[in-house]
Amino acid sequence: MPPAVPELGRFAEPALLILVSLSDGPKHGYAIMADVEAGTSRPLGPGTLYAALARLEERGLIEALPPVDRRRPYRLTGIGETVLADQLRELTEFAELGLRRLGRSPG
Amino acid sequence: MIALLLRLYPAVWRARYGDEFAAILEERPIGPFDVADILLGALDAHLHLRGLASASPSRKGSTMSLRVGGYAAISGALLWFLGLLFGSASETAAVFEALTLVSVVLGTVLLLVALVGLSAFQARSYPRLTWAAFAIPALGAITSLAGLGLTAGLGERPVIGEYSAWYVWMAGTLALIVGSGLFGLATWRARTLSRSGAALLIVGSLAIVPVLVNLGGGGERETWMAFVVTLLAFAAGWLTLGIAALRADRLPSTSLKGAPL
Repeated sequence: MPPAVPELGRFAEPALLILVSLSDGPKHGYAIMADVEAGTSRPLGPGTLYAALARLEERGLIEALPPVDRRRPYRLTGIGETVLADQLRELTEFAELGLRRLGRSPG
Repeated sequence: MIALLLRLYPAVWRARYGDEFAAILEERPIGPFDVADILLGALDAHLHLRGLASASPSRKGSTMSLRVGGYAAISGALLWFLGLLFGSASETAAVFEALTLVSVVLGTVLLLVALVGLSAFQARSYPRLTWAAFAIPALGAITSLAGLGLTAGLGERPVIGEYSAWYVWMAGTLALIVGSGLFGLATWRARTLSRSGAALLIVGSLAIVPVLVNLGGGGERETWMAFVVTLLAFAAGWLTLGIAALRADRLPSTSLKGAPL
């Protein structure tokens, strides 16, 4: 199994998608949902989004910015960026292993 | 409909996320998938809030490493700066000599703590590199402290062969400075903390080469200059790393310029 964002249980995958979405700059909840859906072609429900956001915020991987109107943007923290880089590196290694076993060269 | 769905969430959760959550629900039509997802989300919020008290030991550990390491690096570096100042005035009054000793001892202890804290943080991404770079400066700091302790207890008497405890302190301090350069190299490569701080530590470890070469005598002025540059770069490097650690703990990703992604 590919590694997951630690200690997030069933919210590990949505959390990873959110971290990737925030990696190019702050976004509010609706923009994260739209970005994830555009990137994965799978919808991210609002209940799942906020369950994952709350966990990421508690762990200090993201932080909330002052709200604009009623929308509150979130951004990666330094620790969040490090954790995301770790996760992506491990996922890359895992994907390369799978491709090698299939006899197909990575990339 | 939106108000009804929001009521399913705990009051504490609504107080924090309710407004922005409602704004999201108002942005688009709510389908059956959304309703089911929100029902599960509300159930999770009730269960999750109940378990929050025991949440996230690793995040606490990581934050603690950064904070302790950061504060220790800053205060250790400042004490070394003070030690330098007191040391330059130590010939004018005995009290400055005592203050130099106290500053250097406390500064070295704190830098040892900083090494442990910042290594624990960096080792999450680069364990081998970080712990390899940790060993020499940590050993140097311990040797330096032992040398100072022996000097206080035995004075000029030899402790290893014909060498007095002063040489033990000097060897430990040199290992601490050169090893800090290795730690700086590891930090530069890991890119998890300030590269400026890492570069200063590397400069400090390189500037000490003329000091080592001239320890036998000759070129006193140049040796003294190299020694001052070494100590200033050493202390400034740790100070910068300490500030970077605290910023990494508190500020967004821009505080970790160049961190791998």
